[in-house]
Amino acid sequence: MVEVAVVASLLIAFGIGSNDASNALGICIGAGIIKLKRAIFLFGILVFLGILLQGQKVMKTVGKNIVDVNMSIVIVVLAISAILIIISNWRRLPLSTHQVIIGSLIGAAVASDSAVNIASIIKIVVSWIISPFVAMGFSFLLYKTLEKTISKFPFFQIEKLLRAFLIFSGMLISYNTGANELATVLGPLMHSGIEINKILLFSIASVMVFSGAILLSHRVIETVGKGITTLDPYSGFAAQFGAGGCVLFFTFLGMPISTTYCIIGGISGVGLTKGISTVKFGLLKKIAINFAVTPSLAFLFGYLALKLIYS
Amino acid sequence: MLNKIISGGKLEKKVIENIKIHLKILCSATECFKNAITTGNKESTFCVADLEREADSIRRQIISTIHEGAFLPFIRPNICRFVEMVDEAFDILEDAAFEFRYLNNEIYKLIENECAKIAKINSEICELLSIAFDSLLTKGDLKEKNLAIRIYEKQVDDLKFDITEKLRKIDIKNFWDGKIITDFVYYLTNLSDLIEDASDYLYIIEVSLK
Repeated sequence: MVEVAVVASLLIAFGIGSNDASNALGICIGAGIIKLKRAIFLFGILVFLGILLQGQKVMKTVGKNIVDVNMSIVIVVLAISAILIIISNWRRLPLSTHQVIIGSLIGAAVASDSAVNIASIIKIVVSWIISPFVAMGFSFLLYKTLEKTISKFPFFQIEKLLRAFLIFSGMLISYNTGANELATVLGPLMHSGIEINKILLFSIASVMVFSGAILLSHRVIETVGKGITTLDPYSGFAAQFGAGGCVLFFTFLGMPISTTYCIIGGISGVGLTKGISTVKFGLLKKIAINFAVTPSLAFLFGYLALKLIYS
Repeated sequence: MLNKIISGGKLEKKVIENIKIHLKILCSATECFKNAITTGNKESTFCVADLEREADSIRRQIISTIHEGAFLPFIRPNICRFVEMVDEAFDILEDAAFEFRYLNNEIYKLIENECAKIAKINSEICELLSIAFDSLLTKGDLKEKNLAIRIYEKQVDDLKFDITEKLRKIDIKNFWDGKIITDFVYYLTNLSDLIEDASDYLYIIEVSLK
């Protein structure tokens, strides 16, 4: 049955590749700074480096600190998460991988009477709530700093710098995808007690992320790229780099947080520099509802699935 | 390494160099036109058409290089618009040169001095536009150059007023004499307007990344 968990986690990794490559390098591809194939190769390499160099803390939080995992919990959690993520991708519903995995993990643990670490859960939920605001603050400060510093350079130098900055922020998001997002997926598997070659698992998972990116991401990338590059490059960079910096900060703390929510926070932070009226509160409300519904739904599915198995 | 991953700025360099050449050709064309007007040598105005053709091929290269992916998409339309404005200046200078060859000499003699002054200003204003463009590369004071261009343009407007005053006093007996002199004055005096617009656009380009 271990195979089911491994296959499910690899399917989720594939889903991450198809969706999150656009978060990372969509702007750079849309701006013509880097070509699609080259960007996806870079994305794949950085995802692998991210999980290898900095994935441990997040994997420990998800796989060890939240609940006492056993093999049946891991199988149920990963299988349910994979199904939910595939359905959400298919139906184009915005579901956060972190929230699905952690929600179902807690649900399955409660159903199987495993120990649940409330303090750890509170830390994660607090991280989810504050991370978009931290990204908002980072992006706000970054935008203001850029306005006061690089705007003093000659025009063509600014343009060149912004191109380099945009690729750098894309690389940061790619690295975070490995260090945080993929780490969340592999955490339960790594701490389930099975004998597994760590480097081999990281490599296969990174290849799955890469495959998802190369096979399915081009449409999302084109949409994101063409949609976002009409924004001014300052805003794009400040929002993306602020979000990237925020995810990296929480990765250092071992907290699994969503890059997408941080990017939304980053964009709002850039909007705030032009006044609070630029922030679309209606959209933020929808996101907040989604924020509450996703982990609750995942909890319910995790709980019911395990109860069903035990009965 | 980073230069290898990203496009390395080759396209951007190509565009910048071509815009510089484009502006230099405009300066040469206005200089050549000024010489033709001051010497009264109508045949030498053919150099304007030759230079316009050369500039047209440079313009096509610039636009196609931009569409190949030079610069961030956000600023591409602004740079293209600037190049198109310079191209409009070429077109109007070519029209002025064309009309100059068919002018009635007797009528033209009345406004010759003013026209020579305008041609001289046009030549200087183009040099200034070229310097203004260079200031995007070197962080020179673009506002100062914009102001200088506006002052030159005002001088052309004053001279245009003088020309109109003189022309109103004479009897035009032949339709074509009247039309050609009117068109010539229009083209000659409108060049500085286009250069002023182009310099304003340079300012817009500069502030677009601030």
